[in-house]
Amino acid sequence: MSVLELRGLTVRYGHGSSAHQAVDGVDLTVAEGSIVGLVGESGSGKSTLGKAAVGLVAPSGGEILLDGADALRKRRRGERRPIQMVFQDPYSSLNPRMTIGEAIAEGMRGAGGRASRRAEVARLLDLVRLDPALAGRLPSDLSGGQRQRIAVARALAARPDVIIADEITSALDVSVQGALLNLVRELQRQLGLSLLFISHNLAVVRYVSDAIAVMRDGRIVEQGSTERLLAQPTDPYTRTLLESVPRFARVTEVPR
Amino acid sequence: MSATNLATPVVITPSRGRGRGLLRTLLGTPLGIAAVTSVAIVLLLALLAPVIWGDAADAYHTDALRQGPSAEHLAGTDSLGRDILLRVLVATRLSVGLALGATAIAVTLGLLLGTLPAVAGRRVGRFVAAAIDVAVAFPALLLAIFFAVIFGVGEVGTMVALGVAGGPWFARLTLTLSATVASRDFVAAARVNGVSRGRILLRHVLPNIGEPLAINATLGAALNLLAFAGLSFLGIGVQAPSYDWGRLLNEGLNGIYVNPWAAIAPGVAIVLAGLAFNLTGELAAQVIGRRTREKAPREPLPGPDDAPALPVIEHGGGDDERETLLDVRDLWVRFPSGGRWVAPVRGIDLRLHAGESVGVVGESGSGKSLTALAIAQLLQEPAAVAARTLRFDGHDLRDSSSRQTRAALADSLAMIFQDPMSSLNPAMRVGPQLAEVATAHHGASRRGALAQAVQQLSAVRIPDPERRARQYPHEFSGGMRQRAMIGIGLMGTPRLLIADEPTTALDVTVQRQVLELLSAVRAEADSALLLISHDIAVVAGMCERVVVMYAGVVVEDLPVAELLAGPRHPYTRALLAALPDMETPRERPLATIPGRPPAPAELTGGCPFAARCAVASDRCREQEPPLATLADTGAGHRVACWHPQAGAVGAADVKTETEAPR
Repeated sequence: MSVLELRGLTVRYGHGSSAHQAVDGVDLTVAEGSIVGLVGESGSGKSTLGKAAVGLVAPSGGEILLDGADALRKRRRGERRPIQMVFQDPYSSLNPRMTIGEAIAEGMRGAGGRASRRAEVARLLDLVRLDPALAGRLPSDLSGGQRQRIAVARALAARPDVIIADEITSALDVSVQGALLNLVRELQRQLGLSLLFISHNLAVVRYVSDAIAVMRDGRIVEQGSTERLLAQPTDPYTRTLLESVPRFARVTEVPR
Repeated sequence: MSATNLATPVVITPSRGRGRGLLRTLLGTPLGIAAVTSVAIVLLLALLAPVIWGDAADAYHTDALRQGPSAEHLAGTDSLGRDILLRVLVATRLSVGLALGATAIAVTLGLLLGTLPAVAGRRVGRFVAAAIDVAVAFPALLLAIFFAVIFGVGEVGTMVALGVAGGPWFARLTLTLSATVASRDFVAAARVNGVSRGRILLRHVLPNIGEPLAINATLGAALNLLAFAGLSFLGIGVQAPSYDWGRLLNEGLNGIYVNPWAAIAPGVAIVLAGLAFNLTGELAAQVIGRRTREKAPREPLPGPDDAPALPVIEHGGGDDERETLLDVRDLWVRFPSGGRWVAPVRGIDLRLHAGESVGVVGESGSGKSLTALAIAQLLQEPAAVAARTLRFDGHDLRDSSSRQTRAALADSLAMIFQDPMSSLNPAMRVGPQLAEVATAHHGASRRGALAQAVQQLSAVRIPDPERRARQYPHEFSGGMRQRAMIGIGLMGTPRLLIADEPTTALDVTVQRQVLELLSAVRAEADSALLLISHDIAVVAGMCERVVVMYAGVVVEDLPVAELLAGPRHPYTRALLAALPDMETPRERPLATIPGRPPAPAELTGGCPFAARCAVASDRCREQEPPLATLADTGAGHRVACWHPQAGAVGAADVKTETEAPR
């Protein structure tokens, strides 16, 4: 179990007068074994924040700490990468020329021989509820939902402490979205992961997250526990966001 | 966990060897056969000709100097009495070999240079990229002549010169292609995992740029063949006693008045070999780029192509007395795929009254967008559209070629697409794009049309419309662009607005504004709306009636009130149950629909939802249910199901995911 802390994180694109502050002094903590949802509209900087946390974008200021230590320090080759990421588009996040097994194995560290690697791939596929026989297949044989499970398995292969999930269901249909969300929630509990769940879909964020942070123009305008933030939003933008969620009064059985 | 209690059944479509498919497609057309055979012949000649005729081609016939064609020497002889045809055949090896050698050098050099920026650091990368750009600007042949002087006149020197001269071009290509691949998420994922730059290049980038590189290398070989012949002809390339086609051409030209065939034979060889490589490269590019169109299969088209048109219905069915605006019956859309017809839309019935708003919901691949495109007559070959009735506003769209019908469509049907950036012209100011509609359809003057456009922008609630009309689409935000798109749609007097996922690319706050605008302007203009969306909540908020599509058919067609109270089809019910909203209990797992929709080619004849349905029976798996009203539903509610459900949607409507114990 690990805690991810962002302190005064700033990411700037461009130079001089054309510079754009995509992330502007963000303080955010993902507590041990918790899921923090990050919502905001496109261009609010939420994806840039996620990319900075895994080192894909260099921050221009602030700190990214994992259990109090610099999360982005140089790591030796073969050293474990404790922060992993699952991307939005499962059609772009898997190499079309690499088998499922190779893609998952790439993230593994220290696993010795070929047999033990294969066993580990099978274990991970089983963990994300896919047939281990898929290891020899290419991504083109799989549906979007299955691909996204592979992407989750690849992230888990590195045995991470923290996972950044960037819009992982927005490319999926409603009927497969639920299965992936259930899986992510269950794995998070089972493995004690800390999860930063980035999404524009408030209903989805509300369902998975213990706490929610609302982002706008590179800043976090409000954060708090899911119950508190949804019941008593204090920031006007959070209120607008809540009001904009399309609602419809379908009649459902009261769950027992 | 064993394979039997997998939550999701894994469906695997058989994968086909890509390489074999490529060769088969190449050999599938007469042109392809010609190209592949001619390259094979050229390569065979290059291998065998010197072995078979090498000595004969060097034999002097002192009794037959500088002779024209004869039975003994088909293309005549040269000044030493050597057989020209045999010399042309034998020269294949040197000509082709040198061209291929130069290409190999160019490709190797190009790969090394072009991938250097990816492997080396950022600064070295920028420098190399700039150097490549400068080198590309020099004409390759000029560079080759320059290098030939440096490396020395002769075959090897010229080969190296041509190779080095071609290098920058391949480097530029490699650079561009790898930049595209490097921006994809799988490379980002590898970087997160700490995979080294070299390994990313070898495992992730190169395999994904191999095909275009190979094609360009083939085309490059054809060019090098010509270039080499040219240099040898000029005396820079191959030196005597060696000979290639260029040198033979040079020698033949000296005696062209005595024996024209001495020049024609090597010339023909150069053209043929060049063509062979060029054609093969072009064809491979077409096949890989999927630019070749699938041929129409021989089997008969499924659907109502020869069926007679149905009688016209003037006023809406059931208790609705409004005029029928759009009447679609038994609409099919078919595509050729792998030598067969597949039908992503299989017999859709859809009717809209004047001023009515109808939503079409369904998952990706359900055929909802194709249905909209087919109605708007926007589908092109190889798609084959057919319907028993396709009437809009009194016009039979089955005969859409008539000018009258097209004019009516242009005037009274407007379409709004998901991505306003790709439906607006980026090189044209927004105002003129709206004005264009008025000038093209209503014969308005330019000034009048522009005034109308500004008025329209203000009608779709764009602030400061005069200034905005002078701006380009990229200066608009996503929501603004979609407003402008709606504005274009409403420039005419549309009786029907078809909106295909109009707010999917927008944020929730902007989505709400755009939807409100769409509602308002629609009400003002009294146009009907066909709203296509994957989001059932959006449709429920905007429409009077909802049509639910699944695997190319309508499975339920019902008023929104009944959708909310409790739909009858298990798929509709499962969709509602699976949709998380702001009230979904967080402590329980989300309801899901196991499996995935069948692809058009996988349909077996039964109900397409049977495999994922909680109440499916044997009958469902064998017989596809028709779309019909039920005994206890009104005429406005149709369901295609053998076991329609009733009551509020609940947990029983989904095969709940069973969590395996661990």
